[in-house]
Amino acid sequence: MEEYPEELRTPPVALTCVVGCPEVHGLITAHLHSQQPPINTIALPDFSKISVIPPKKPPRENSEHVGGILKRDWLSKHRTRIPAVVAALFSSSNVSGDPAQWLQVCTDLENLKATIRGRNIKLVVVVVSQAGHKDDMSEDRMIALRKRAEVDSKYLIVFVPDEHMELKQSLSRHGPRLCTAFADLASTYYRDEGRRVKVRLEKKSFSSMELNVRYCFKVAVYAEFRRDWPEALKLYEDAYHALREMVGTSTRMPPIQRLVEIKTIAEQLHFKMSTLLLHGGKVVEAIAWFRQHTANYRKLLGAPEVIFLHWEWLSRQYLVFAQLLETSSANGLQFPSMASVPADKPTEWEFHPAYYYQAITSYLKEKNICLELALSMSEDVGPIDGSAESVVASVYHGQFARLLEREDTYIMQSLTDDEYVRYTLVEGKRFLDSFEIIALLKRSFEAYNNLKAERAAAYCGFQMAREYFSLSEFSNAKQIFDNIASLYRREGWLLSLWELLGYLRECSRGTGSVKDFIEYSLEMAAMPETTNAVELSSKYCGPAGPATLSQRAKIHKEAFEVARGGSELTLKEQNSHLKVNSDYPLYLEIDLVSPLRVVLLSLVAFHQPTVKPGALSLLTISLRTQLPTNVEIDQLEVQFNQSECNFIIVNDQKPHIAAISNVQPGRRVETAPTLVLATNKWLRLTYEIKSDQSGKLECIYVIARIGPHFTICCRAESPASMSDLPLWKFENLLETIPTVDPGLAFSGQKAIQVEEPDPQVDLNLGSSGPALVGESFILPVTVASKGHAVYSGELKINLVDTRGGGLLSPREDEPFSADNLHVELVDISCHVPEDQSEAPSDNIQKIQPSFGLISVPSLDVGDSWSCKLKIKWNRPKPIMLYVSLGYYPQNGEPSSQKVHVHKSLQIEGKTAVTISHRYMLPFRKDPLLLSKIKSVPEPDQIPSLALNELNMLLISVKNCSEVPLRLLSMSIEMEENKGSCNVQPQHVFGEPVVHVPGEEFKKVFTIVPSVNCTKLKIGTVSLRWQRDSGVREQFHSCDTESQFMKHRLPDVNIELPPLVVSMECPPHAILGNPFIYSIKIYNHTELLQEIKFSISDSQSFVSSGPHSDTIFVLPSSAHVLSYMLVPLGSGSLQLPRVTVTSVRYAAGLQPSNTSSIIFVYPSKPHFEASDT
Amino acid sequence: MIVCLAVVGHQNNPLYIQSFTEADDALKLHHIVHCSLDVVDERVNNPKKSGPTINEAFLGLLYPTENYKVYGYLTNTKVKFILVTTDLDVRDADVRNFFRRFHAAYVDAVTNPFHVPGKKITSKIFAERVSTMVKSFGLSPAS
Repeated sequence: MEEYPEELRTPPVALTCVVGCPEVHGLITAHLHSQQPPINTIALPDFSKISVIPPKKPPRENSEHVGGILKRDWLSKHRTRIPAVVAALFSSSNVSGDPAQWLQVCTDLENLKATIRGRNIKLVVVVVSQAGHKDDMSEDRMIALRKRAEVDSKYLIVFVPDEHMELKQSLSRHGPRLCTAFADLASTYYRDEGRRVKVRLEKKSFSSMELNVRYCFKVAVYAEFRRDWPEALKLYEDAYHALREMVGTSTRMPPIQRLVEIKTIAEQLHFKMSTLLLHGGKVVEAIAWFRQHTANYRKLLGAPEVIFLHWEWLSRQYLVFAQLLETSSANGLQFPSMASVPADKPTEWEFHPAYYYQAITSYLKEKNICLELALSMSEDVGPIDGSAESVVASVYHGQFARLLEREDTYIMQSLTDDEYVRYTLVEGKRFLDSFEIIALLKRSFEAYNNLKAERAAAYCGFQMAREYFSLSEFSNAKQIFDNIASLYRREGWLLSLWELLGYLRECSRGTGSVKDFIEYSLEMAAMPETTNAVELSSKYCGPAGPATLSQRAKIHKEAFEVARGGSELTLKEQNSHLKVNSDYPLYLEIDLVSPLRVVLLSLVAFHQPTVKPGALSLLTISLRTQLPTNVEIDQLEVQFNQSECNFIIVNDQKPHIAAISNVQPGRRVETAPTLVLATNKWLRLTYEIKSDQSGKLECIYVIARIGPHFTICCRAESPASMSDLPLWKFENLLETIPTVDPGLAFSGQKAIQVEEPDPQVDLNLGSSGPALVGESFILPVTVASKGHAVYSGELKINLVDTRGGGLLSPREDEPFSADNLHVELVDISCHVPEDQSEAPSDNIQKIQPSFGLISVPSLDVGDSWSCKLKIKWNRPKPIMLYVSLGYYPQNGEPSSQKVHVHKSLQIEGKTAVTISHRYMLPFRKDPLLLSKIKSVPEPDQIPSLALNELNMLLISVKNCSEVPLRLLSMSIEMEENKGSCNVQPQHVFGEPVVHVPGEEFKKVFTIVPSVNCTKLKIGTVSLRWQRDSGVREQFHSCDTESQFMKHRLPDVNIELPPLVVSMECPPHAILGNPFIYSIKIYNHTELLQEIKFSISDSQSFVSSGPHSDTIFVLPSSAHVLSYMLVPLGSGSLQLPRVTVTSVRYAAGLQPSNTSSIIFVYPSKPHFEASDT
Repeated sequence: MIVCLAVVGHQNNPLYIQSFTEADDALKLHHIVHCSLDVVDERVNNPKKSGPTINEAFLGLLYPTENYKVYGYLTNTKVKFILVTTDLDVRDADVRNFFRRFHAAYVDAVTNPFHVPGKKITSKIFAERVSTMVKSFGLSPAS
């Protein structure tokens, strides 16, 4: 695009001219230029310079010969030299000055008018006035001036510029008028000019096609001056079509030059149209036009010797269009959407400059080919008789002429086609386009990459690399080829890859890298066959020849000959060779992502997942290649992460040549009968392997040595995790399993776990049944050495919830608190031997609620050591105790293996005792508790006790554990409000009560509440107990420690009973003897209580007394009902039942059966005091 | 005339690629087919651009090169068919029709129980059938 002249590239801008009064020119020019649309100005300081405006040419004769289509300078003439408007500037002093000055003004005006009249240039008269002198101007003179100038009054403008302060003001005041005048007149001028030419077009008053094109072009340009874009576009199109008709009809010039001219004009017209369309946002139309344009002219190759000009021209079309597209898409063009694209619509890529850049390169390449051909055909291009230098562009676009210097003048002489061809060849030779092609391809490559079109980018890159290759820039080429190769490998485009690798192979010859050469050769040789290889055998497939099996075998053979040092690698440089020898050994490394996995794939599988140290395990090495012919390996080395396990397999067929010298002394060497790899067949080798070191034993490398200086180091893979071979995974390949055992093929691993040596130390956990909540459970741990001495032993203790899930200890970042710990490790106590005490630093001890770590002193064989774990249960919970001992069997040998012993024990944590309680009333005494008779009993009703009465509290303790316990004391601890009630007694057992499992132990307390309170806290039952040691010696510490078991008594409701009924009768009776049975009713209230009572008859007794009645009990007094009873039978007899009913409270007392039984002896019994 | 036909698998790998020209441009055709996959990706991955015809297998003209036109077709199992023709004024309907028949041939080939999905199509019958179809393309009265 840059090669076009500026006037063509930019839209035309109206041109005006100012003459005279040079002091205001700058001001006016700048102002006009800043207008929208801008106006360019020619500033002429005085009227004598007016001659720069070219005079009008004489009108064209119809018979006149037309020299060409467009004059080269026509456009620039109209843009820079022929103004549409001329402004004559006169100073006001001159206008209104003395006659001489006025005369001068008139003369200048006349001259100016004479000059511009021929071209119809419009005139504006500006009188430049001084500020403050504006009124000085004579009205007559102004009128005279206007008449002389023959301008409309609005084109006579008074301009007052001089006061600096008023500058802006003056412009803002006069500026609009000035500008409007200029713009109006310019528009009129261009319209008139356009119309003038258009009339000719419409009348078809032109003698030749050339003029038709020229007129269309001119009208279009005038329309552009007026910014009438649709009109301009239409006329450019007309011109284009007219030009198209000229192809093949014009006979004006020799054929070659004729076509060149037409193409040049077509290019310009198309450029104009594309610019207009793209600026108007009509991308689709622009692309359609471009398609049509290239289609129109693509076939017009021209004469055979200048076909290269055609390709150059075509590539320029693409280049210019790409650049236009790029600049307009930079302005944020929106591409239309599309799904399936109809053939007549542009596709996605056509909206991107990258597409065009890529296309250019193919044309440029065509051009180069044609140019070279043309150069080779014309033998005498070099020394042309110097006339070529004098060939210049002629006055017409697209024409060339010889410039002859004759007597100080230059004469243009037209060229013959032969001369022209020679000129173009010379010109063409000066530009070699390889670098241009690379630059364009690079642009396209980057653009496609930005579009994430990696395949198109790869193709550009490929062409670019090929271009580098042809320039012998091998390292550049190799880098690009390598990048693209990975794409083709990934997507399995075999033929493209084959071609590319062929180039890479040649590149490696160029860069002198034997390793690259071998790698690329081997990869090519191991490639799958392309599907239609047979058909392709005769066709071009890149520098490596056809992609056939035989060619692959050839490449394979060649590569191995070089690798074995049998032949030399011929380099691109003259007479230089490289050979693999001891100075230049060849070392290839194949890892998991290497494309060379197809060349050698090594799978290693251990037959077992784990093995004991020192025991033998089987190892299978499976090797496979896809190379077309057999490969014989001289030596295989298998390397492990434990280097002492490394071993070497030697091919028995091969004499022990230099390869064996690599063997280090002491290395294990195996011999295999043969080590030949056939295409796609597994070579399976199974060996036993032994490791003394526990941990992971992993095979890392399998190294194949072929010949004295060629090594392939192949990273071992596990069969279980083998990934597909690149390229081959798309092939219909016979799938074979790498190991004989199919199970191993799916699960085999290249690593084995070598176990630890067996421990010879006993770790005993003294189990003692369940633990009891609250006690510190003591668990002895004994370490007894049987066969190993113990050095640097460490004992780790872990407490784990058996049900998993909720760990016993909260997370480590939370503070520990006893509340949320159900079980905790409290202490580890151990007996430190005297001789170890001097090394306390060894004796690390670390205790956390669920974890403990303690060091074990060194033990000799046969020694033992023990410690005690103290674990406390806060809640009943079963736990798992894990104890592990780690030690070194040898002292001071860092290489020796640590041995671990693990033991675990499940321990139940149980509640030792359960405490229950019961409130009772004294025998045969019943207070009336109103809360008891009220309503239905509620489940959570708190028990009620009578105020100031003796209440009984029965505490029963049940042993739920499986061991006998000793109860030491039981007491009720009062809570805050001392004196609110009186509890008796506090039991401290003089001799511990042994409490066997399942037994229930009861104690009675009396409570006399002295406060009337609905919620009285009675206190907490506190039971002190310990395990009954019996004879068990190992629980010494248990004896000394007693545990408290607490049981909080529920709150009770204390109320004052309004009535208390008590029955009195002797403890026993004797048959026939009367006794008194009395019922006492106390009224604790201040009210008179009406009491109804009745006594039921009983067969066992004869009774005397009131049978039933209603009585009144006075306030705070008692009433006694007494009966005399005579028992009639003996044994346990039911007393006559007395029912007492309080009328006020509607409550009756029905004494319980048990309380109304009396034992009647048949005769008076004789009690004998035993000892007393 | 159809110069190249390709079946392209899920990893953009060629499952079947055959050129039908006498000239030595198999490589170039491979490149053209390979580059056209970018356009297929672009069309398939930008459904917002695609409008209402997204459900159609026929992708239309992928891109015009100087001498060829490249058409695409995407099966419901996301296997791509690419067609390269030298006919610069071929009708969409013909191409669509051709693809439909080619799709049928492809389905027959891959329903062979001995064919492993994702591997290359090596069936000779398929190749013959395709070759016949290619020869008849452009000769049928419809075109």
